[in-house]
Amino acid sequence: MSRTAHNPGRVDWSGENPGIYLKIDPGNVAYDTLALFFRVALSPYGRGNAAIVLGTPNEARGWPHVPNLIMTDNQRMMRWIIDGWVTKMPTFVGKAGLGAMTWLDCDSVEKRPGDLKSRYSETLRGSGVTLEMIWRDMGPPLPVEVTKENSATKEHEMYSVFLEAKSAQVKINGTALPGQVAERQFFGRTMSTAFLAFSETWVTPSQKESPHAFE
Amino acid sequence: MPLNEPITPGVVDWTGENPGILLKNEDGSFAAMALFFRVTWSPVGQGQILLLYGTPDQVQGTVQAPNMILSDNPALTAYLKQNFISKLAAFSNAPAFNSLPEVTAQVVRTSGDPMGHRYCETIVAADLTVELVWEQLEPPRALELTPDQVGTGEHTMFTLLVPANAAQIIVNGHALPGQLGSRVQAGYETTTAFLYFSETWVIPSEIT
Repeated sequence: MSRTAHNPGRVDWSGENPGIYLKIDPGNVAYDTLALFFRVALSPYGRGNAAIVLGTPNEARGWPHVPNLIMTDNQRMMRWIIDGWVTKMPTFVGKAGLGAMTWLDCDSVEKRPGDLKSRYSETLRGSGVTLEMIWRDMGPPLPVEVTKENSATKEHEMYSVFLEAKSAQVKINGTALPGQVAERQFFGRTMSTAFLAFSETWVTPSQKESPHAFE
Repeated sequence: MPLNEPITPGVVDWTGENPGILLKNEDGSFAAMALFFRVTWSPVGQGQILLLYGTPDQVQGTVQAPNMILSDNPALTAYLKQNFISKLAAFSNAPAFNSLPEVTAQVVRTSGDPMGHRYCETIVAADLTVELVWEQLEPPRALELTPDQVGTGEHTMFTLLVPANAAQIIVNGHALPGQLGSRVQAGYETTTAFLYFSETWVIPSEIT
């Protein structure tokens, strides 16, 4: 297949979307902590920042009872992204905590990128909560381009630049959530469950390009 | 559209945002040029850089229309000048390219909405405030360009283009003169004012 210079699809949103998925027991299938950060530069609902944390992913309760929460400065945008993307990602499908998580306002976001190799962090503050996501020991950047069939949502094309992190932590008010970084099969290779994701763009493919458009 | 192989062969040179405004005189020469970088990954870290040619046909700019670089990461400035900007003819052929003074960017602020009417980057140095304003924005387009379709001639490049049909470069409150022109990118006619988000430059594996 050769490249098409101008993707005929509809650009949905673009920005940064790093994540940390942790397991207490690496042999378990399920994750014990799920966290995604969003720095959205472009969307139909404007720009914004957010972090979703499910410290008890299978429990249908939210903060402060359990560490299931979202912090954001653009709730409308994030409700659209959760409905259209997060709920369709295999890691988050069926997680009771996603629907029950508490929505908190975010007053500030502080990035500490360092040298992009040893340590990288995002800190969100607001509503009495300080949330830290910390990545350590990053690998080289991998340019990623994913077809609809290969994408997490199975509905969108996606471009991004991924950096694996060998270790990572999610902290709420200074307390680390349980689990360690594990491995998973992703993009056709074994990859870490903690990653930075820069320059990420999601595109809804053009119906004109689909072989099933007229079925 | 993406290829079937999820990981693009090659080495990432840098990734980030790279909007610009090129204003022209009536004779087609450049009246003023601004190229902004918000780099989220490079071998020398993150950073924000403005390359400003207020007087592109002269080595020395003026107080009202300076030729200079505003940067919060000098190592990144050097990396991009040597490996990237020097391969873009419109910028590297300018008389001031090799002697551009560099000052520290103390504040960089984004405002507006790239899917709305107006978007702005404000870059502040000690005695200089530069505002880049893009208006009358078109919907974003995702581009995948091969080395023969990019200015460097060496990279595979992914980006998100938001064309603007009106734009200004404002230096200390005064708009620099000049009009937008047209250009063609990979067969698509667009303007000389552009936002580029999520832009990734990859050195293809056959070169590395």
